[in-house]
Amino acid sequence: MSAQVADITPAVRPAGFGDVLRAEWVKLWTVRSTWWTVAALVVLGAGLTTLICWGNADWLADEDPSRGGESPGSFITWGMMIAQVCAIVVGTLAVTSEYGTGMIRTTFAAVPRRGVVVCAKAVVVCGVLLVVGTVTALLGYVGGNYFLDRAGVGMALEGDVARSMYGSGLYLAALGLLAMAVGLLVRHTAAAISIVLATVFVIGTMVILIPGELGEWITKLMPGNAASSLVAPVSFNPDSLGAWSGFGVLMAEVGVLCALAWWLLERRDA
Amino acid sequence: MIRAQGLTKTYGDRTAVDGLDFRVEPGRVTGFLGPNGAGKSTTMRMALGLDAPTSGSVTVNGHRYGTSPAPLREVGALLEAHAIHPGRSARDHLRWMAASNGIATTRVGEVLEQVGLDSVAGQRAGRFSLGMGQRLGIASALLGDPPVVILDEPVNGLDPEGIRWVRQLARGLADEGRTVFVSSHLMSEMALMADHLIVIGRGRILADCSLQQFMADHAASYVRVRSPQSTDVEALLVGRGLDVDRVGDEIRVQGLDAAAVGELIGSGGLLLHELTLVSSSLEDAFMALTADSVEYHATAGEEARR
Repeated sequence: MSAQVADITPAVRPAGFGDVLRAEWVKLWTVRSTWWTVAALVVLGAGLTTLICWGNADWLADEDPSRGGESPGSFITWGMMIAQVCAIVVGTLAVTSEYGTGMIRTTFAAVPRRGVVVCAKAVVVCGVLLVVGTVTALLGYVGGNYFLDRAGVGMALEGDVARSMYGSGLYLAALGLLAMAVGLLVRHTAAAISIVLATVFVIGTMVILIPGELGEWITKLMPGNAASSLVAPVSFNPDSLGAWSGFGVLMAEVGVLCALAWWLLERRDA
Repeated sequence: MIRAQGLTKTYGDRTAVDGLDFRVEPGRVTGFLGPNGAGKSTTMRMALGLDAPTSGSVTVNGHRYGTSPAPLREVGALLEAHAIHPGRSARDHLRWMAASNGIATTRVGEVLEQVGLDSVAGQRAGRFSLGMGQRLGIASALLGDPPVVILDEPVNGLDPEGIRWVRQLARGLADEGRTVFVSSHLMSEMALMADHLIVIGRGRILADCSLQQFMADHAASYVRVRSPQSTDVEALLVGRGLDVDRVGDEIRVQGLDAAAVGELIGSGGLLLHELTLVSSSLEDAFMALTADSVEYHATAGEEARR
C-alpha cells in the first residue's frame, strides 16, 4: 500500500465563478421542464399579443371616444402578462427542483460556497429570461402590430414601444429572481409557485379593495404592479408608477427577499 | 485523511452525533458501521460541509471541506442514491458536476465506463433502478479522481454482482493509497471489505480498531461437544487445561479446533454424540455490541407512549 495518491493536494487550477456558471447553464438546459416552460413563454407571450391585437385592432381604431379610449400601446405587450407565469415557473424550478430531489446536496458538495452557486444560478436564469422575454415581446410586436397597422393604428418600434420590449425582458428577469428567492426560502416547488403567483395575480389585484390612499399606494407598490408602466408603452392602469421608478421599487422588493434568502441559505443545513 | 474531533450534532434536544473523535487513514478501507439512525449519514454530511456541526470539527486533508478550491478533485462522495435530478440523464449529471470543478469532460465518459453505465448514459436518471442510481452516485464520487472517497451505504440496492464490484472497487482505491470511508449497517458486508472498523451507536463510538482486532475481541468461537459420558469428558478436557463451559447437556470448549478435541476424547476412550465448531458471526458480535443503542430507540418510543 503506497500513500502517493493521498499526499496529492490538487495542484490544479481552483474552480472559479466561470466554472460554476457553466455548471448551472448545463443544469438549466438538461431538464425538459426548462424547454417546455420557455417554449410556453414564447408561444403564450407572442401568440396572445398577436391574438389580442387581431381581435381589438378595429375597435381601437374606432375614434368614437365613448366606445374606445384605450390606447393600442396597452395591447402591444398584452401576452407578456400571461407569459410571466412561465418566468415564475423557470425561476422557481431552478431552485426547488434541486431541493425536491435531494440534488441540492450534490450541488453544495461540488461547490461548498453556497452564495456562489446561487449567484451563478441567478445570472443564468435572469440572463435567459431577459433575452427570451425581450425576444418574445418583439415577436408579439411583429405579430400584433401587423393587425394594428392594417387598422391604421400601428406603432413604430421606438420610444416607449421600444422600451416596453426590453422592459418586458427586464421584468421577467426580475420576476424569475423573485421566484428563485421564494424558492430558496420555502424549498418546495408547489408552495413557492403558489406564493409567487398569488402575490402577483391575486393579492396584487385584491389590495385595490383597501379603501383610500393607503390602498392606492399598496396597489402601486405590489411586485406584480410596480413595473406595469415599464412593460407596456401605455399602462392600462393610469395610476401606476413611472416606468423606471416602478422597476426600482420591484428590484428593491426582490433585493430584500434575496437578502433574506441568502441569510438563511448560509445558516440552514442542506 | 479524515479527522473528527469532538464532532457533535444535535437537532433540538436529540443528539444525533455525540462527540465523535476518529481518524480515517489513507491506504485502507475504513468501515463506518452502525445501526440505522446511529449517526453515520449525519457524520458524513458534516464531513462534506452540508450540515454544520453543533460543536467540534471534522476536517478532510487537514482543512474544512468548504475551504477546498475544487472539492470534487479532493473528496469524492456517494451520498444517498437519490441526490440526482430524475429528469436529467446520467451523462448530463456528470457533465455539470465536471464543469463546476473544472474537471476535463473526458472524465465523464471514463467514469461512466468504469461503473458500467456507458450504454445507458443518455437515459434519464429517474428511470434507473436503485442499483443503477448507486452506480451513477459512485461514478460522481470518482469523477474528480479524488484521493479521498466517501461512500454512504454503497451496496444498498445492488445485486450480488454489483456488491462484489463495489467491494473490489473500494479495495482497489485503498490499494492505490486513497482514503476510503464506507458506511454500512451490514456487518457481513464490512467484514469482506474493510481493513479498519469504526462502529457507532447512538452517535457515540463503540469500537475503533482493525477488523482482525474486532473479530478477536467480539466474535468468539467454540467447539460444542455432546456425550453420554459428559462428566468424564468434561473432566478429561479440564485436565488438559482447556477452557471448558458446561451449558445444559452440552460442553463448550475453547482454544482447540474440533478435530483436536475429537481426537482427545477418542484417545480417552469416551463416546461422542456431537462435535461441532460453533463460530459466532461478526453479525452476532455487531448486534451484541450495538444492542444497547438499538434498544434505546425502542425504550424511548415506549416512554413517549406513556
